[in-house]
Amino acid sequence: MDSGEYWNPVLETLPREKMQRFQLEKFKKILNWAYENSPFYRNLYKEAGLEPGDIKTLDDIGNVPKTEKSMLREAQGVDPYPYGTILSVPLEQVTEYRQTSGTTGQPVYHPETWQDWEWSAESWAYALYAYGYRNTDRVFLPFGYSVNIAFWAGHYAAEKIGCEVVPGGVLDTEARILKMKELKATAFMATPTYILGMAETARKKLGINPAKDLYIRKITAAGEPGACVPATKKRMEEAWGAKVYDQVGATEIGHWGFECQAQAGLHVLEAFHLVEIEDIETGAAITEPGKKGSMVVTTFDRFAHPCIRFDSKDIIEWNPTEKCECGRTFRRLKGGVVGRADDITKVKGVLLAPTAIEEVVRDIPELGDEYEVVVIKKGDIDDITLKVEIAPDFKPNVKAVEPKLIQQLRLKTGLRYNLEFHDYGTLPRYAVKAKRFKDLRHKE
Amino acid sequence: MAEYKIENMAKKIEMLRQTATELKRISGGIQAVDRNVDRILASIKMLEINISDLVGTI
Repeated sequence: MDSGEYWNPVLETLPREKMQRFQLEKFKKILNWAYENSPFYRNLYKEAGLEPGDIKTLDDIGNVPKTEKSMLREAQGVDPYPYGTILSVPLEQVTEYRQTSGTTGQPVYHPETWQDWEWSAESWAYALYAYGYRNTDRVFLPFGYSVNIAFWAGHYAAEKIGCEVVPGGVLDTEARILKMKELKATAFMATPTYILGMAETARKKLGINPAKDLYIRKITAAGEPGACVPATKKRMEEAWGAKVYDQVGATEIGHWGFECQAQAGLHVLEAFHLVEIEDIETGAAITEPGKKGSMVVTTFDRFAHPCIRFDSKDIIEWNPTEKCECGRTFRRLKGGVVGRADDITKVKGVLLAPTAIEEVVRDIPELGDEYEVVVIKKGDIDDITLKVEIAPDFKPNVKAVEPKLIQQLRLKTGLRYNLEFHDYGTLPRYAVKAKRFKDLRHKE
Repeated sequence: MAEYKIENMAKKIEMLRQTATELKRISGGIQAVDRNVDRILASIKMLEINISDLVGTI
């Protein structure tokens, strides 16, 4: 691969041994910074009897206490307000406010200094460049520019690469599609839910076929699983006639993983992060392919609100093959983020990941994109219902679809469901974080 | 893979940092200088992350 295909050919092709040495030095640096500048981290480490100098090898990192979202929430809301005791720079150096979406509770406040914000754009630039974004692209941003980080960094990274960026913030979906058409935009960024939703709006309300009538060739999919679910990715790519690239990140962590053009797993942005995988039940380190676990991640060089050994609850697995045909040596994940530890739940005694249901539904062409899963308790027994829509191109022929759906659900999830077939367009549509899995058992 | 002059680039990056820092030191507190230097320093930090921090590792 030509070095012009990388944002930074040196870091992206660094041999593993050198990358590990690089990561160890980066880890020690951010650990020391947090210890010196954040009361939250200093107390955490002192209580654990840990000094920054105790970390001498990568293996020592496992002794550093983990953090999680609830701890970040508890540490905020006090001075320096509102960021509290994690803040590691003087408050007057903070130049932007962000917050998490609040999907799992009280939002976490996130401060950005100008330097940290440059870091965010820089990390995204690695990904966008890998997807093929160049200074000849006109990139459309169809998201609400608000307090949530969403695609803000994507905007600035695209600018940094030299793309022409079109902010489609306050426009509604129809206006956004028309603007993309008018300007002949070549790329855009959105959640998988919205990527499919925009295509549906274009077809149904505007009579536009995105694959034929628009000029989009690259789509960055982030914010929720979807681009890592093969059936969902196929639907998005067919709807838009474009390549869809999976990208992962979180407000607390920053952007940490991306697909290259080989689309053979998710590269971890190892020059900016240390990703560890732990067994969900035992906490033991998983260093080899073949077993899924929960991600523990450390972010390097982001100093205002350090993120050190953060238990993200993302379920991931190392890719079985070491080398990627793109030439990058950043380690890869199999698929991507296949779910969240919070979402994986036992139904009728069987471990269920909602993305497995999505893979089944969207792999059946007679079904629409939308679905909903509801779990309730009937007496002592779990009861699970799957609601689906018949796709508009197919006559409502439930009898033809039902056996296939039952069989695939049984095969992929090991469960039997109550099935409900709804008219097309009647299930809820989401613009951002979709809530298609509703576990109502604890509410009854 | 091309050979890159990492150490030479790192030296130039260090000179950029020194120049920017010196500019801020002599600015007399002119905000139009100080705040723009802060932005320059943030960009220099990205150069350090991409290049300078590799010195000693490779």
